[in-house]
Amino acid sequence: MAAAIAVTASVPAFAAPPALNSIAPDFALKSVDGRNVRLSEYRGEPVVLHFWASWCGPCRESVAALDALGVNSGTPVVGVNLDGADRSAAVADALHLKSPTLVDAQQSVARAYDVAKLPLTLLLDAEGRVRASWSGVPADLSALTPQLASLRQD
Amino acid sequence: MKPKSHPLLRVAQLFAVFALLAAPIAALPSEGDATNLKTVDQDVQALKKQLIDLNRDLFKLEEELLYPASTQVAVFLSVDVGTFFALDSVTLKVDDKEVANYLYTDREVQALHRGGVQKLYLGNLKAGSHEIVAFFTGKGPHDRDYRRGTTLKVDKTVGAKYVELRISDREASLQPEFVVRQWE
Repeated sequence: MAAAIAVTASVPAFAAPPALNSIAPDFALKSVDGRNVRLSEYRGEPVVLHFWASWCGPCRESVAALDALGVNSGTPVVGVNLDGADRSAAVADALHLKSPTLVDAQQSVARAYDVAKLPLTLLLDAEGRVRASWSGVPADLSALTPQLASLRQD
Repeated sequence: MKPKSHPLLRVAQLFAVFALLAAPIAALPSEGDATNLKTVDQDVQALKKQLIDLNRDLFKLEEELLYPASTQVAVFLSVDVGTFFALDSVTLKVDDKEVANYLYTDREVQALHRGGVQKLYLGNLKAGSHEIVAFFTGKGPHDRDYRRGTTLKVDKTVGAKYVELRISDREASLQPEFVVRQWE
């Protein structure tokens, strides 16, 4: 109980991911394959943005499911890994991820998104607005999939 | 030359135009009048143009307020040919303080190669002597990792100062060249 209170206390009260219908902050990061990726270059189509780390159990479960969703639906799924420069590539390789995995070694993007709990999954529409989010739990695919389909038809 | 009205005054004018447009729409007869509709369409198009102009004027006004000409310093980046250097990132320091750190995607590099000029930094500096340092990273000749810094001493006067960082090819040595130019 004391540990739980300590963990809760360490998270600033204002920490919260971008609100629904707000524009997701733009950023550019290097992917594990060496390319530079900028979020705003995906404008024009819905995107799933996913913050994760290998030491977070629900993240590994979630990232694999979202990667499969991306492959099957053709939707860009952009993963932002918080493990660090050296580990990110090895972890993405071990999980056989097909979607781009970006390395946020300095956690500057995680700070910009106020990532207080992992995993954090955001569904962005074609204009970059947040249409749904899941924080601290794996994304609910039964809710995400129809929302994504609806956005792709718009 | 027609004098430009203040942007805030133009916002009020636009609201008035909206109100005037809304009234005839509500009063349209049930059987559509093609002439009236055409006029409304033209008014809407004119209104759209006014909104775009207003947005531009507000942007300029904001820039003039935040970065007055007396203290304004802008740093631009351009690429000329760039055969010997594939740009990855630029870090810019002014008086030893990092003010910009930009990571370039493939699309952005292509845009620069097509003649695009990027506004890398816009800020304020007091009059006097200042040091601007830019670090370029990327792939150099033979696909080797390449990091190069270039320093510029600028004497900021009362007018706006524009600095251009230009990446070009030095054919003689088959190496990239990083040129810094100042514009007043």
